[in-house]
Amino acid sequence: MSQQQPSAGAGGPMSTFMPLNIDAHPLEFTGSGGEYFRVWIVNVLLSIVTLGIYTPWARRRTAQYFYGHTLVAGSPLEFTAQQRKMVMGFVLLMLITIAYQLAVNTGQDTAVGLFLLSGALLAPYIWASAMRFRLGATRWRGLRLQFTASWKEVYIASWPVFALALVWFCVFFGMQMLSPDLAQVLEAAEEEGAKRTLPSFTPAMGGLLALGLVLTVLCFIRLEYNYKSLLVLRAQVGAERGRWKPVYMDFVKVWLATVAVFILCVLGVIASISILAGSSIALLAASSDRLGFWMFVVIFVAIIGGMFLLFLASAPARAYREARMFQLLWNNTGLSHVARFKCHLRSGRYVGLRLKNMLFTLLTLGLYRPFARVSEYRMKLESVTLHVKGGVDQVAGAMVRHQQGGLGDALADAAGLDLIG
Amino acid sequence: MLLQGRWFDGLSSKARPVMVALQPTPQGPSLVLHPVSQPGAGPTVFTWKQVGWPEAWNENRPPPRVVVDLRDHGSVEIDAVADWRAALAAAGERPGLAQRMQTRWPVLLGVTVAAAIGLTLFYRYGTPWAATQLTRFVPIGWETSVAENVLQQMDDGTLKPSKLPPARQAQLKARFDALAQQTPAAPHRYPSYRPPLSLEFRSGMGANAFALPGGKIVMTDGIVKAAADKGLPDDALVGVLAHEIGHVVHRHTTRMVVEQGVLNVGLGLALGDVSGIVSTGASVLTGLAYSRSHEREADCYAIALMRHAALPTAPMGRLLLAIAHDEEEEEDAQKKKKTAQGTPQAAEAAASTASAPAPRSKGQARKEAEAHPVWSLLSSHPETVRRARELEQGHAPHCS
Repeated sequence: MSQQQPSAGAGGPMSTFMPLNIDAHPLEFTGSGGEYFRVWIVNVLLSIVTLGIYTPWARRRTAQYFYGHTLVAGSPLEFTAQQRKMVMGFVLLMLITIAYQLAVNTGQDTAVGLFLLSGALLAPYIWASAMRFRLGATRWRGLRLQFTASWKEVYIASWPVFALALVWFCVFFGMQMLSPDLAQVLEAAEEEGAKRTLPSFTPAMGGLLALGLVLTVLCFIRLEYNYKSLLVLRAQVGAERGRWKPVYMDFVKVWLATVAVFILCVLGVIASISILAGSSIALLAASSDRLGFWMFVVIFVAIIGGMFLLFLASAPARAYREARMFQLLWNNTGLSHVARFKCHLRSGRYVGLRLKNMLFTLLTLGLYRPFARVSEYRMKLESVTLHVKGGVDQVAGAMVRHQQGGLGDALADAAGLDLIG
Repeated sequence: MLLQGRWFDGLSSKARPVMVALQPTPQGPSLVLHPVSQPGAGPTVFTWKQVGWPEAWNENRPPPRVVVDLRDHGSVEIDAVADWRAALAAAGERPGLAQRMQTRWPVLLGVTVAAAIGLTLFYRYGTPWAATQLTRFVPIGWETSVAENVLQQMDDGTLKPSKLPPARQAQLKARFDALAQQTPAAPHRYPSYRPPLSLEFRSGMGANAFALPGGKIVMTDGIVKAAADKGLPDDALVGVLAHEIGHVVHRHTTRMVVEQGVLNVGLGLALGDVSGIVSTGASVLTGLAYSRSHEREADCYAIALMRHAALPTAPMGRLLLAIAHDEEEEEDAQKKKKTAQGTPQAAEAAASTASAPAPRSKGQARKEAEAHPVWSLLSSHPETVRRARELEQGHAPHCS
């Protein structure tokens, strides 16, 4: 029963001779916001008491709570990372951070430069270690997940990072070629550090800058595409490998739709601000007594409010992007010829939930965050259905390489890659 | 008690029915796995250390099933979660602190109280103490190089060369040197720390004086002019200089760097998961409290030094009050000007103070008070008024 060999690549669908029945298993989350709040508050308190040293334990508890309440075909996921390795990774990361802060605060520019450069060069390594750690620590029905990409594959997939550096190198020198004044101004600025009037800005320079920006965005999308596809294609459950269908243009389309949503939101915000500002100025003009003080208050409120609204305006776009990306991934991935995922997440509902959560989190100064996290996780997870051909107990194990150290996780945490979500 | 379970051996996703038993041992419960399907196969025993025990998240509403981690031997799924918890308790499980906080309200409450007290004590006493000790290891060369950088940046930015006549500068410098000679040789916090004290004049930044680490003290034309306008004797300015010397000998700038570092890292880790607003807010507020305590310390030093030099501190107190008063009026005037021009000058003012980390303004809080009488000063700058009163009396209750 467990003898089926996986197809070598992630190529086309393998036709099975025998018709096997396909079972649908909707994914399920059995936790609750209130329960997770308790988990979270315990973590926060212990972090306070231990001056932050509790962090790796807190991360493990959080992961175990979410994994243990995530039912895939009736079986919970397991988070099996060794606590000792997570702590070692955390300590190592803290030492690196302290060394970096020391270098910054004592003005050792060479050391700081070296830190930043090695950080940039190691970014693909950090990402891959994080993914290795994350998949390697996940177990389902006793089978460990694996991320099997070699370092060479990871760095080849990272070519957009280096292309990006090249693009900006070219833009910088192209600018200087187009406008000799600019080079002088840059030199002068370096010498004096004072403000100078910028030289005339020609359309050619504008075009170059725009080209640079477009290429930058395309590089970022390509990077995301490369990493996501590598993650799925090199992921393994037992001996079964991941399947990947999306193409680069799918990612570009999601991005374009996101930009459209963002522009709509910004237009909406600008319209509402101008209405508000117009009415309040009219109101003030009517009561010209103590105008000065109120004008000051209005300007102050407008600046703060404007920044806040810009943050708000980008929120729907960010949530929309996340939802679309989630749909794209979970509708187009699978596990060799054994399993397929289908996702029925509704972008509108997800955006609404995210906005509601953001509002409550702000109002409660962050205390609502655990509830927000659970509700978002639940909506995403429960939108996914797993279709398995031939039953869930057919997956054979594979030789599992030695378990990853915890530094990958600590670094990923520092880089903002969250374990859950 | 035997519990039904499904064992996954880690080699395939196929489940095998097993019976699970828990046995008390001195280390904690051990787990015994009895295979059901293979007759003749003996039970496998896993000690307390060999098992990844799942945490109980909620005693009242257990999850539909738990998974027990057997490390390299796979895992066991158990459906009867309530029975599993009962069996664990019967086998003498000793839950950890996190688990007890998770499932028992009194423990959670107790740790909350302990955390509140601990946090207060740590940031009230621990951090300043640690900063004081760590500062002992900071070489004076680092301080002077930092001071040079900062002063250079300020000279490029908000500060201009002084317009005071050279004779007046020389006169004040002579007073300053005389005062510097008088600094008590009595051991204070850093007995071996004897930086060369020097005075410089600049214009800009209103009526102000500030100390840079490493012994350089800068006085603005504004404060000299303010003292002259109020008809105060030079003793007022000498008092201000004594206060700044206090900052230097107590190495306040260096201590502040360390304190702020501990605050940002510690509070960021502890409260960062709540929200950025909370952790940054806590760190800013605590930083302000440290800065106030530094001001008090410098005041005490000034009072002692002036007494030692047989000089009065009352003029300095009056100068402090007068400057705070002027600042308030100026802010009012500025507000009116702002409405005429419609430019946000507040941002500019904020930027100028932010670019200068070292200065310690005399009237720190810039608040929007509306009217002029002294009681408004009292309400918006209570700290300044209290400090001025203490200086006028030449004695403060908090000075040892």
